[in-house]
Amino acid sequence: MRTKKITTEEREKAFKSLRKSEVNEKQKLHVRYHVEDYETNDRPRRFLEAFAAILKHSNYRLALEHFIRVSAKCSRCAVTCQVYQATGDEKDIPCYRSELLLSVYRRHFTVGGMLKGRLSGKGWLTDEKIEEMAESFWNCTACRRCNRDCPSGIDHGLITHLGRYILAEIGIAPRALVVSTREQLEGATGNTSAIPVPALVDTLQFLEEDMFEEKGVTIKFPMDVEGSEYVFFPAVSDFLMEAETLMGIAAVFTATGDSWTTGTGYFDGINYGLFYSDRMLERIVKKIDAETRRLKGKKVLIGECGHASRSAKYFLPAYCGGKDAYPVINIMEYTWEVLKNGCLKLDPNIVTEVVTYHDPCNIARQGWIIDKPREILKAFCKNYVEMTPAGQDNICCGGGGGTVSIDEIRPYRTTIGGKLKADQIRATGCKYLVAPCANCKKQLRELVEDQGIDCEVVGLHDLIYKAIIFDDALKVKTPDESEKMEKE
Amino acid sequence: MEQLLDFSKGPLFRLTFAIMVLGLARIFVLDLYEAYRAYRRAGDKTLPWKQITLRSLTWLFPVRQVFKNRPVYSVFSILFHIGLLVVPVFLYAHVILWKDDLGFGIPTLPYQWAYGLTVLTIVSALALIIGRAASRSSSFLSRKQDYLWPVVLLIPFVTGFICAHLGVGPRTYQFFMLVHILAAELIFVLIPFTKIAHCVLMPLSQFIANLAWKFPPDTDEKICITLNKKGEPV
Ligand code: HEM
Ligand code: SF4
Repeated sequence: MRTKKITTEEREKAFKSLRKSEVNEKQKLHVRYHVEDYETNDRPRRFLEAFAAILKHSNYRLALEHFIRVSAKCSRCAVTCQVYQATGDEKDIPCYRSELLLSVYRRHFTVGGMLKGRLSGKGWLTDEKIEEMAESFWNCTACRRCNRDCPSGIDHGLITHLGRYILAEIGIAPRALVVSTREQLEGATGNTSAIPVPALVDTLQFLEEDMFEEKGVTIKFPMDVEGSEYVFFPAVSDFLMEAETLMGIAAVFTATGDSWTTGTGYFDGINYGLFYSDRMLERIVKKIDAETRRLKGKKVLIGECGHASRSAKYFLPAYCGGKDAYPVINIMEYTWEVLKNGCLKLDPNIVTEVVTYHDPCNIARQGWIIDKPREILKAFCKNYVEMTPAGQDNICCGGGGGTVSIDEIRPYRTTIGGKLKADQIRATGCKYLVAPCANCKKQLRELVEDQGIDCEVVGLHDLIYKAIIFDDALKVKTPDESEKMEKE
Repeated sequence: MEQLLDFSKGPLFRLTFAIMVLGLARIFVLDLYEAYRAYRRAGDKTLPWKQITLRSLTWLFPVRQVFKNRPVYSVFSILFHIGLLVVPVFLYAHVILWKDDLGFGIPTLPYQWAYGLTVLTIVSALALIIGRAASRSSSFLSRKQDYLWPVVLLIPFVTGFICAHLGVGPRTYQFFMLVHILAAELIFVLIPFTKIAHCVLMPLSQFIANLAWKFPPDTDEKICITLNKKGEPV
């Protein structure tokens, strides 16, 4: 799939920086995103020290050694990358982006490179190069689509991931992500949206009342119930912005009667560590493990969120016990299962408009969750259409890799990152664009607004909430009555 | 001239061939060793073996990929590789050279096939160079070796073709034969140290790209200690 290159005006808009020039000077950094003040002296040396420490204690050397040897510079990734497709700027070709870091590795961490460097006296890591990396690695949405088209198997997403990690170690990381992560790990509320527990409890009670009014059924958000089958971690922002999704999930559990709970000790699935620092990734994943342990839960259940699902699914085993780690499932896997079992009934006459499904990169790229949400949707949406390409080859919403949380780069995301996606959405003519991911939803809403596309971005469980049919036995008159029944 | 030819056919051939084989074996084993270390350190040792195998095979025999991305370039690339791998190994004139050393022979290419494949390889090498130079993204990425390799690889094909099919006089024949052999030997020596190492590393690519995401546990603490960041706020 190809798209038209952006116009000069669009380019100006997308790359306009809101940063003041004094800040740029002080931070020695000409990037578009905001960065907290950091030690600017001696950046190359500190970059190399951080790089060396990371190489020593992690597995990245394996990939770097292999990638510097096999890279064939065939430029197929240029055709694949939605960013390069939109900007047409050669510096956005995935292979070039990766080469920025690979060349540092080659020059400073391989014998051949060090010898060559000594002899020629050239190729030292410079401040300019660090600035170029700081810009380039945050232009990429880490969607990893380019890996699918690389004959040499180079994973540019992995290189971007590592590059951002090293930069973060010397203090260069988007402020939006750092501040949220700080609140999550060290703040009073312990979550990225800074929601205090009383506010959370209030919100959920309020939603319970709403649901009772709308459905005539008592639907609960069980809190701190020890020994539940599932301990629930949605992207915490859902509590503020995606009430319908949460209500849909609660409704499904009410219909099936399975035990699930949200813990007041920790209830945030978001993990920005995946986007800028493995050290934070590890710390956040461990919080999920600790809360599940505290509640004596059996499984970790992640809400509608791509990166939250991936960071739990792939990194809970990595950091918290390998084979013995808690199993992780995404809510859509659960809903699919109960739909197949016949425990969930959906009315096929409610959602009659055109519906399409956007694959969040973090759950689709590796082939983890692709067909299940589609089967759910097709079970009750009359007018389901596909986007092409989809599934493992899907196109990123344009806000991947944490970029969606950086508000100051919205023009970049909606004119460049999401351009190809916008073309795709337009072609479907959909009314509902289902995006089961907190990040994709935010980005897609901004995208359809800025690009003037007329459709509504929703979660999968938002539609389920509309169409769910409850057994008559569940339909009690008042909350008091239901409490009585529970007691019995 | 005759002595030089004999030398390059004999000792020099054996030496350069050994450099290639040992060099390739070295990087292959190093790659595997690094993979073994990564696997041992990884906290999560499950790998999607089925997907890795399928994707590796897909790229080793990229028939399904051809028309998805850069189709013309891909077709020439595949033809080029078939020529590169088939002609030198199965050419009648080459097989008889080793037959005495090895004590056994392998099937050989019929004359017309050898002729056709050689021409095809030469044409596709030229097409690859043109394709690289003509594509904006490709030429932007290319290093010197990316242009030089098809050229260097062409030399044995062109000189071999001259010797085998053009009926040149004995002196000219000897000259081109010498260039043919020396060029091939240069290629042998360069292979392990350049991107052509992909001929042994490619099958490991998908495996390594997957394994690299399997992080070792407790790196947070170790890196904090190494970088003197213990207790530092986020
Ligand atoms: C086992 C066998 C091999 C496999 C699977 C393989 C695979 C590949 C792939 C996937 C590419 C990059 C994609 C492309 O440009 O189409 C490539 C490029 C290349 N290969 Fe191989 N290769 C093999 C053996 C060899 C050998 C033995 C040579 C030379 C002696 C060679 C020379 C080249 C060259 C020169 C290129 C770059 C072509 C260009 O200019 O774009 N390959 N190979
Ligand atoms: S990961 Fe996605 S955005 Fe980044 S370079 Fe690859 S295709 Fe482009």
